[in-house]
Amino acid sequence: MPLRNTDTTFGWLSRLIHWLMAVGLIAMLVFGTVLKTMEPSFANLWMYDAHKSFGLLLFMLVLLRIIWHRLSPPPAPLSGVPLWQERAARWAHRTLYALMILVPLSGWIGSAATGISVRFFGLRLPQVVPPSAALDTAGFAAHSLLTKLLMAVILLHVLGALHRGFVSRDSSLRRITRGV
Amino acid sequence: MRTLLALLTCLIALPALAAPRSYTLDAENSAVAFFYDFGEEEIRGNFTLEEADISIDFDAVQNSSVSVRLRVAGGHAGFPFATEAMLGPRVLDAANHPEMYFSSTSIRRTQAGASITGDLTIRNVTRPVTLDARLFRQQGAPVGGFDELVVELTGSVDRTDFGADGWREWAGDTVRLQIFATIDAE
Repeated sequence: MPLRNTDTTFGWLSRLIHWLMAVGLIAMLVFGTVLKTMEPSFANLWMYDAHKSFGLLLFMLVLLRIIWHRLSPPPAPLSGVPLWQERAARWAHRTLYALMILVPLSGWIGSAATGISVRFFGLRLPQVVPPSAALDTAGFAAHSLLTKLLMAVILLHVLGALHRGFVSRDSSLRRITRGV
Repeated sequence: MRTLLALLTCLIALPALAAPRSYTLDAENSAVAFFYDFGEEEIRGNFTLEEADISIDFDAVQNSSVSVRLRVAGGHAGFPFATEAMLGPRVLDAANHPEMYFSSTSIRRTQAGASITGDLTIRNVTRPVTLDARLFRQQGAPVGGFDELVVELTGSVDRTDFGADGWREWAGDTVRLQIFATIDAE
């Protein structure tokens, strides 16, 4: 099982990060939505820190993924795919990467702007922005909007992948699941 | 803080003294406690009194005056998460409004002590509030000794009146105050 990506296949590291992030992002989107509707109390105070910690972990993973793809570029899209699908997939991937960076970043900025310290599994992080009502409002408004957009693009990505795997029956889905 | 509870037994019968007496604050032995609802719980927070000018006319209490200054950043809201939230821009905005003030505008005697109406300034917003005041003599002080007193001020404010309206889903609007100020005659 090769570590590195080739011209036609994904190595195990790319696939591992992909699936870790897939599970992590979907779990976080559910977690964040539940958190927003929950009655705050001492019993669930820890969940806000957990949301920030796991969000930052996903942020680190996407940065690691970008660096890794610089060092070991992912395979090119399959040939023979209809042009509109290839374009849609390219834009979905670009939008996903942008959102995987912007969603945690906007949450981090909004959180820091409230004056409440942001902790990464207990470790207090330096203030990324000073306490500010404007950044607080803007950060959380962006976080909320971008999160919904991320949900929509993930859905599109999953539908596209399932279409390739079970309707077109090409190797797109197999490349990221089994690496062949 | 000295035994404030013991002081509660020493409620002063206001004597007839001629002119208003000025007092300075003994900040170390003074405290501003506040209470707010957090879900089902009542949380206690505190501030340190920075400065107070108090003048008491024991003979004509309406001639007395109280003005108090607090440093916002020194406040604690019961637990670290709440303290940071309280000092942040959604509530007290300590970075832009580092102090709170109270200045009496009228004082009248009541059965239990006095009722003090004054202007409270929080986040640069000034609103009238009324606090109940009681005076206590230090335990062991001689009868007629008014050199060192404790003032207890109680009352409540609605934080949203001052624009301190953040985190309402977490913390109640009403903030109940209990201030103990130890004061020394000048």
